[in-house]
Amino acid sequence: MNTINLKHIIKTFALILLITFIIDKIVFFALNTISDKVYTGQSIGKLNHFLKIKDSVDFIVFGSSRANHNIDPIKISKKSFNMGMDGRKLAYPATLIKLLPKGKKQVILLHIDTENAFSKDYSGNDILALSSKYNRNKIIKNEIDKLNQSNIIQKFYWSLSYNNGVLGIIKNFLKPNYDFKTYFGYDPIYVTQNQKNIFKNILTKEISEKCNENFSLNNIYDNSLNEIKFFCEENNKTIIFFTSPKFNDICKNDNIKLNEVMKNKKIKYYDFTDYFKDNNLFEYWKDKEHLSNKGADIFTNSIKKIIIAR
Amino acid sequence: MLFNSFEFLIFFPLVFILYWLLNKNLRKQNILLLISSYIFYAWWDWRFLSLIILSSFIDFIAGSKIFISKTKRQRKNWLLVSLIANLGLLSIFKYYNFFSESFADLMNIFGWQPNDLTLNIILPVGISFYTFQTLSYTIDIYRKQFEPTKDLISFFTYIAFFPQLVAGPIERASNLLPQIEKKRIFKKEWFNAGIIQILVGLFRKIVIADSLGVYVDTIYGDIGVYNTTSIILATFLYAFQIYYDFTGYSDIAIGTAKLLGFKFNQNFNLPYFSKSLTEFWRKWHMSLSYWLRDYLYISLGGNRKGIKITYRNLMLTMLLGGLWHGANWTFIIWGGIHGLVLSLEKYIKSNSHSHKLKNFGVFGYPITFTIVLFSWIFFRAQSLSSATLAIKKIIQFDLSAPFIGDINSVVNSLMVLSIGILFDLYLFNKKIDLENFGEQFSVLKIAIISSIIIVLVNLFYSTSNNFIYFQF
Repeated sequence: MNTINLKHIIKTFALILLITFIIDKIVFFALNTISDKVYTGQSIGKLNHFLKIKDSVDFIVFGSSRANHNIDPIKISKKSFNMGMDGRKLAYPATLIKLLPKGKKQVILLHIDTENAFSKDYSGNDILALSSKYNRNKIIKNEIDKLNQSNIIQKFYWSLSYNNGVLGIIKNFLKPNYDFKTYFGYDPIYVTQNQKNIFKNILTKEISEKCNENFSLNNIYDNSLNEIKFFCEENNKTIIFFTSPKFNDICKNDNIKLNEVMKNKKIKYYDFTDYFKDNNLFEYWKDKEHLSNKGADIFTNSIKKIIIAR
Repeated sequence: MLFNSFEFLIFFPLVFILYWLLNKNLRKQNILLLISSYIFYAWWDWRFLSLIILSSFIDFIAGSKIFISKTKRQRKNWLLVSLIANLGLLSIFKYYNFFSESFADLMNIFGWQPNDLTLNIILPVGISFYTFQTLSYTIDIYRKQFEPTKDLISFFTYIAFFPQLVAGPIERASNLLPQIEKKRIFKKEWFNAGIIQILVGLFRKIVIADSLGVYVDTIYGDIGVYNTTSIILATFLYAFQIYYDFTGYSDIAIGTAKLLGFKFNQNFNLPYFSKSLTEFWRKWHMSLSYWLRDYLYISLGGNRKGIKITYRNLMLTMLLGGLWHGANWTFIIWGGIHGLVLSLEKYIKSNSHSHKLKNFGVFGYPITFTIVLFSWIFFRAQSLSSATLAIKKIIQFDLSAPFIGDINSVVNSLMVLSIGILFDLYLFNKKIDLENFGEQFSVLKIAIISSIIIVLVNLFYSTSNNFIYFQF
């Protein structure tokens, strides 16, 4: 290869790197500006909303969609928020809990799943939903790095923070989904006829479930539990862990084992898996793991009693 | 190693630099290509390298023997050695369980219940591709269309060359081997076109195909649960998922080869812009369709032995082409549908009374696309029963709103799909081949286009899935 070609290669790659770097930063800062004004929508709005009110609320619910759809926080406290979101496991809420104000008295209700606790594959990758704040929040950056979930390319291309969130952000910026001032994070499910049909279909062709019999606690899960407990004890927070109801849970050993784990760790934990077992109605459910608004109403009342009795 | 992996991002620049540093010594350069190709493959499973080496070794010997054999019988025998060895390995690793299960099912019909004959066999990645590639070498020598190489390293490199090793394009020896044996020259035009093609391929694969895959997997994962509109929508999206997945892979492979100074043949040429299925097969997975035409259809007699034999040959070629894709009845039926429609098109074309039907005009596009779409149901379904269930549900005409799931994800998919289709429309209207797109661009233009693609990939890429064609 002659020097002319060598120069051509170097020039091309150097220019690509330079121009991508510039475009990337323009896109990143533009999206920052827009996204900071977005308080609705699941991709970033709800997170911004949480960051805005986290210092003023006294009761917060964390967890997956099973927390989000199942508990109406406003029935429990007027200064509350439900930060449950689809697909979130433990790393995500553990990080958000660390963002709460130090010393302020708050009650935290955190939903956990036995499946994730004893899964050998759980890597804490749900924390990646916080990627949009990776280059802007030290605590979030540390937590993502600590779990080895950071993308090395993201250190150069910051726009990766907004991967798959752009359309949602722009849409919610131009036309917010709802008035966030009257939103408390709870998304009740009003089951449609189509959803009912799908659920009925699923129930008719019930497949036998294979239960996990490996009960060694996932390391990342274990660490997160310990860190949450430590943070809450140090910062005047009351933490209550719980597992949401299931339609017809066949595997029981995992629940027993998780109870033991929590007991050993001296963590307050309520297992509601079989909450509807003796009083079950089809209309309480959207599917086997998510309650309808009717089921959620009943379930929230029980949670309220626990919080009041505390 | 996947093209869209971090490992490849490290691997390829290293190979690229070392490769051009060794440009003065062809042998050393080829040894580097061979070693890096084996590393590329071994990243998946080093044990199966032995199959590639065995296959390469047998065909190297068989090729030479066919060439030096004095009698036709000897030449035939050595060709048989190559065919039996390669197709034998393919049969064991890819089709053994399928045939033994089908045999057991057949016996069950007669009331016999044979013991379970299936084995726990892993399908070696790329076996179907390199088997066809290596077979083309011995068959071409047998047909006296090609002379064997005397250089072992060149031949082994031809079989294992990493850009096309695991999912094609299936490069004939007549195209690739002479390029391996000849000193490569760095061409700016190829470098420019290669960069653009790699990035377009990456966009097509990890942005478009993987995004579409989320919805398709949900619906086809439990077909019995969803209504007509959901299944039609999923099939429609799958048509684009598989196209962008495979054309994306081919783009990266062709672009990567170009950066190393090799020219591969085009593998896709906007196949959904076809007015007939015959035209579709001239544009879809071209390296496979031409392979099947030259080594199977023509070997069976092609269209030289009368119209009935032509139909038989077409059907057989497409049925075997279907089977090549996977050891499942769904693929065979997929091939059967294509074979049937191709035969029908041949009939219409050859029948002078049906002059009006010869040309569907612009209606040819939607008609062809609908046929292809229908056949994809079999291709995508996990089993024959799942495919028939999908068709049953479609003809129930439950036209209520389709299942959407995560609205953001669906909107994202549709938006990136629109970008892909608009780009394809642009290429189609301007009659541009992506293979040459970018050749004459200035450095600044290359850099700007590349940067835009990279930022779009960063913003919209979906979590990595394997390339669909790896399983074949």
